[in-house]
Amino acid sequence: MDYLTTAASAFIGLFKAGGKVFMGYMTDIIPLLITAINALVSFIGEDRVNRFMSKLTKFTLLRYTLLPILGVFFFTNPMCYTAGRFLPEKYKPAYVDSCVSFLHPVTGLFPHANSAELFVFLGIASGFSKAGGDQTKLAMLYALTGIVVILIRGIVTERFSMFFFKRNGNTNILNQEMDVNDLKKTNAKEA
Amino acid sequence: MSNYKSVTVNKGSHGWGGPLVIQPTDEKPYVISVTGGGIDPVAQKIADLTGAKVVDSFENPIPKEQTFAAVINCGGTARSGVYPKMKIPTINTVAITPAGPLAKYIKEDIFVSGVDSSNVDAGGEALEKDTSEESEPQKQDTAAATVTNNSGSSKKEETGFLKLIDVVGKVAGDFVNTFYQAGRDTIDTLIKNVLPFMAFVATLVGIINYSGIGKVLANILSPLAGNIVGLVILSIICALPFLSPILGPAGVIAAVVGTLIGQQIGTGVVPMYLALPALFAIDAQAGCDFIPVALTLGEAEPDTITSGTPAMLFSRLLTAPIAVLIAYGFSFMLR
Repeated sequence: MDYLTTAASAFIGLFKAGGKVFMGYMTDIIPLLITAINALVSFIGEDRVNRFMSKLTKFTLLRYTLLPILGVFFFTNPMCYTAGRFLPEKYKPAYVDSCVSFLHPVTGLFPHANSAELFVFLGIASGFSKAGGDQTKLAMLYALTGIVVILIRGIVTERFSMFFFKRNGNTNILNQEMDVNDLKKTNAKEA
Repeated sequence: MSNYKSVTVNKGSHGWGGPLVIQPTDEKPYVISVTGGGIDPVAQKIADLTGAKVVDSFENPIPKEQTFAAVINCGGTARSGVYPKMKIPTINTVAITPAGPLAKYIKEDIFVSGVDSSNVDAGGEALEKDTSEESEPQKQDTAAATVTNNSGSSKKEETGFLKLIDVVGKVAGDFVNTFYQAGRDTIDTLIKNVLPFMAFVATLVGIINYSGIGKVLANILSPLAGNIVGLVILSIICALPFLSPILGPAGVIAAVVGTLIGQQIGTGVVPMYLALPALFAIDAQAGCDFIPVALTLGEAEPDTITSGTPAMLFSRLLTAPIAVLIAYGFSFMLR
């Protein structure tokens, strides 16, 4: 009988330990997901962001840094990819790569942008702060490094896509240039 | 109506939504399989029963305008919402309920989940019902429109002072409403996305800590996660083009591996400054499951998707270790 009791309490202990961790998350993390940023995003409005973004696409440096950052911040996952429509076809894969690579680095500072996948950051960050580290500093560095990484990813993937376009004979895509300022507003609204 | 037949797709066990009655047309002859590992049996059966063509969206993307149904295997929330948003009937082989930022597009008349090939039956004629259902909200819309028109015309008769009050009230109302809606959105994602995941990870962590599996895992993980060479190897494994699309969905695997490494950092087995490179090592596969869908969202042409998907997969093999090394360079600030 004693044996059974020990076994049962050990079994329940498993879940009690889980519950303790859960309550820790509730008090630590949920306050981070405040409503203010969601409100800010809707005050600024999609139209204004769209107009600004369409002007950024000409420069490689901005195309793989500021464009994905704005997309992720304002449209969040997964609608951030829609900003790809401002780009000529040949740059779209590279934009997707740099955009998706920023979806996790952003969560440390701005959890609203990808709240469903917060734990990619939090799993490591909670251990980091447990060991005595400053979680905000880690979040800052994660975002900063993320920006460097998405720029490199954008440029490398751009090269790779040029190679595959050439190999598959998609010359029409390679030669296609698009004047982004020609984009009609209806196009933006449709998406 | 041509020689295409219709099929009825019912929800599977623990599934949600449906039943969907779908039928290809001459303009929309394709059923696409967005499952990342060849053509799903469900998509194949739909194609067999309807006489439609089935294509693997990863290998041979086709424009959304020519798609009459999409078969997906998304356990997360993103893909499940994308196709309903584009008004394409969506069949998910994973049993999920609507959640995530696109939950409002996931409706019973366009989405069905938990489906396997036994849930697909020939025939079905719910099309008439659909149209009658559609016309009703339209009527309501027009009714609502007339109501607002009426109130609009009565406002015109008001005097200047009343107009001012009206404007102030409207601005204040907008302000309050925006915050209120933002609050609603936040709580909504919290309940639908964040809390369930928290519960899952918390249980996992609890079990690992309490049962002593943690020590065993530490022995396995610390040679890989405990030094920079191991992290670079981990990132390359995650970025292998045949593995990355499988490891990607919803960041679950990244989160689990991250939690395990986090545990080791917490106990001091793994040095603290490796937290930053580790974040990039576990994330090498991010989004690789999602490339065709993401490109479709950016209104890319099918040819772009065909070339862009391998471009991104192979590029990761190069950029994943670079990312870890860059993060290692930055990590001196954490020491």
